[in-house]
Amino acid sequence: MSEQHPSLFDRALTRRRMLQGTALAGVAAFLAACGTAAQSVAPSVAPSEAPSGAPSSGPSEALSPSPAASATPNPSPAAELNFANWPLYIDQDSSNPPKSPTLEGFTKKYGTKVNYRETINANEDFFGTIRPALEAGQDTGWDLVVLTDWMAAKIIGLGWTETIDTANTPAFAANESDNLRNQPWDPDNNKRAPWQSGMTGLGFDSKVVGSQTSMAALWTADPRWKGKVWLLNEMRDTIGLTLLKLGKDPATATNADCDAAIAEIKKALDGGIVRSFLGNDYKEGLIKGDLVLGTAWSGDIIQAQLEKATLKFVIPSDGGMIWTDNMLIPKGAAHKYTAELMIDYVYDPTIAAQIAAYVQYVSPVKGSKEAIAKNADKSVAALAQNPLMFPDAATLAKTHIFKALSADEDKYFNDQFSTLQGN
Amino acid sequence: MTALLRRYQFIVPYLLLTPGLIWLAIFYIYPSIQMFISSFWSGSLEHGFTFSLANVHNYTDSLSRYQEQIVRSVFFAAAATVATFLISFPLAYTIAFRAGQYKNLLLFLVIAPFFTSFLLRVISWRTILGDDGLLLGPLKSAGLVSDDVRILATPVAVISGIAYNFLPFMTLPIYVSLEKIDKRLLEAGQDLYATPWSAFRKITLPLALPGIFAGTLLTFIPAMGDYVNAELLGQTPATKMIGNVVQSRFLVNNDYPTAAALSFILMAGILVAVAVYARLLGTEELMSSAS
Repeated sequence: MSEQHPSLFDRALTRRRMLQGTALAGVAAFLAACGTAAQSVAPSVAPSEAPSGAPSSGPSEALSPSPAASATPNPSPAAELNFANWPLYIDQDSSNPPKSPTLEGFTKKYGTKVNYRETINANEDFFGTIRPALEAGQDTGWDLVVLTDWMAAKIIGLGWTETIDTANTPAFAANESDNLRNQPWDPDNNKRAPWQSGMTGLGFDSKVVGSQTSMAALWTADPRWKGKVWLLNEMRDTIGLTLLKLGKDPATATNADCDAAIAEIKKALDGGIVRSFLGNDYKEGLIKGDLVLGTAWSGDIIQAQLEKATLKFVIPSDGGMIWTDNMLIPKGAAHKYTAELMIDYVYDPTIAAQIAAYVQYVSPVKGSKEAIAKNADKSVAALAQNPLMFPDAATLAKTHIFKALSADEDKYFNDQFSTLQGN
Repeated sequence: MTALLRRYQFIVPYLLLTPGLIWLAIFYIYPSIQMFISSFWSGSLEHGFTFSLANVHNYTDSLSRYQEQIVRSVFFAAAATVATFLISFPLAYTIAFRAGQYKNLLLFLVIAPFFTSFLLRVISWRTILGDDGLLLGPLKSAGLVSDDVRILATPVAVISGIAYNFLPFMTLPIYVSLEKIDKRLLEAGQDLYATPWSAFRKITLPLALPGIFAGTLLTFIPAMGDYVNAELLGQTPATKMIGNVVQSRFLVNNDYPTAAALSFILMAGILVAVAVYARLLGTEELMSSAS
């Protein structure tokens, strides 16, 4: 299995909450705590990267893409860039994995060696590893990290990100999807840059369960899927979809709504319909046949269709969830300017198309659809018509975002959801 | 230097102990103190944590809130230890007394799986125990078990996973103590008309006790705190062990006080259990027969 489908196996094992990650997180947190003192002593390349003047000094200057407009010397790309992302979340050279054409191209263009690490398996776990350094005001060792909306909002709220100098990122400024701009937690649109978006809905094997369109299926003790149903272990996905099933809007969820959703899920659990709460590894079970129906991430299912063509993803009639993973520059990053160059680089529609064709999530870059459609490979070009990668207005209208929970609400929701899962 | 060491010979054991002690201090004692302090915290990540001895209720609260998982962990670990023993003893006995020239090969085979990653081994069990996997697939197609029977996501899967993963920790100590047995003792027993069974019961088994003692401890203690098997083979609320709770409290909910308190409860519980066990088996006897 691992020889035939290395990518699937790796991803199934690792992507979201997996053990390797959690075990390492503990060690890494400890090492981070030990290492911060040493890191602060050596801001190696930082001096050459002084920010290019205050953007507030005038609109003309802020709009000017030329760093020469300021008094400080021209910043130059650093020798290296430390980039943390989720597993299998960037294009790979199929004949030479894990080399990534995107990263190779960046190195070619700027001479920067990219230390790209697929080290993020769960938002909370990764945050745990960088928190001690951020708290102490130290460099985390990362120049660019990719985290989901709510975690990004939390870190931005804590003031633990660098502000992106948009003068250095003209492509990002021009090509970011309009619907992602100016989030309430990033009103100036300069604390984070979306990496990919995705939808959460129903995933199933149509050969076993037929065609399903409603969340109610997960509460139906049908012999075809009873005991073979999973739910995602990401609180916002599972609670969000359940709230939609109950006719409540996840964007305005209260603690009482959370209780109602938990009680609803408990019914499916006690009825023996739902078997497990899973992260990315639901894909493995789905392909093997241990699982046939559950809540899933759009890109996962599109990727898994390569292994099992009968797999389907639908946005339930009750509504689906939409989320975005964002690039952040952690406070104190040693190579901030180079990180900005990377952000700008991946907002080039051609590069964005290259990434999207591989990861098959929703690209946040305007023009990536057109760029994919022009691909010489017909099967790649056809992806431009895939509504899950390039959702039309009708699809988007069915998707919902989760409320930006306050710290206390967050604790309450997570606590209830943990207890539901038996921990 | 050597002359100096000879003069201050009493210092040599301490010198030899130093690397271990430093290791222990940095990676065990220091984090333990940290954790002990955080078990008396209250508050949250966002609002900050404050220390107060009054927060001793963290212990009672987490004990009552997670008693189900604690009891389950004891049960799973005990069941897995018994299963491991039942498999290991005959195995170690065969290797020690009957394997002849294949002894080293068999020993190697016991450890061989450990050349691959722990995670990979657990995940391959997921394939073996799958609903239509190597085990259930043929049984189902032969009509011997009904179609909705499953092993994954049940206690059986978790206990089997733990038993499998700790097999060498039980087998090797038992093998070592059996291997050391002076065969002439058995011959003498037989000469005095002992049946094979009573020779086994009165000679082999008592002399194997140190190995059994070490093996059960090496299996039971880590099994109590294991969370990988429950996470990968259990995956259902009804199979969560205390290790899963600690993991989720610590990393998902940022509830450090509860996680720390539970860790200490677990540690204390295991210490008491081991003390009772050592008492029952008679440590002095063990030590003398081991030496």
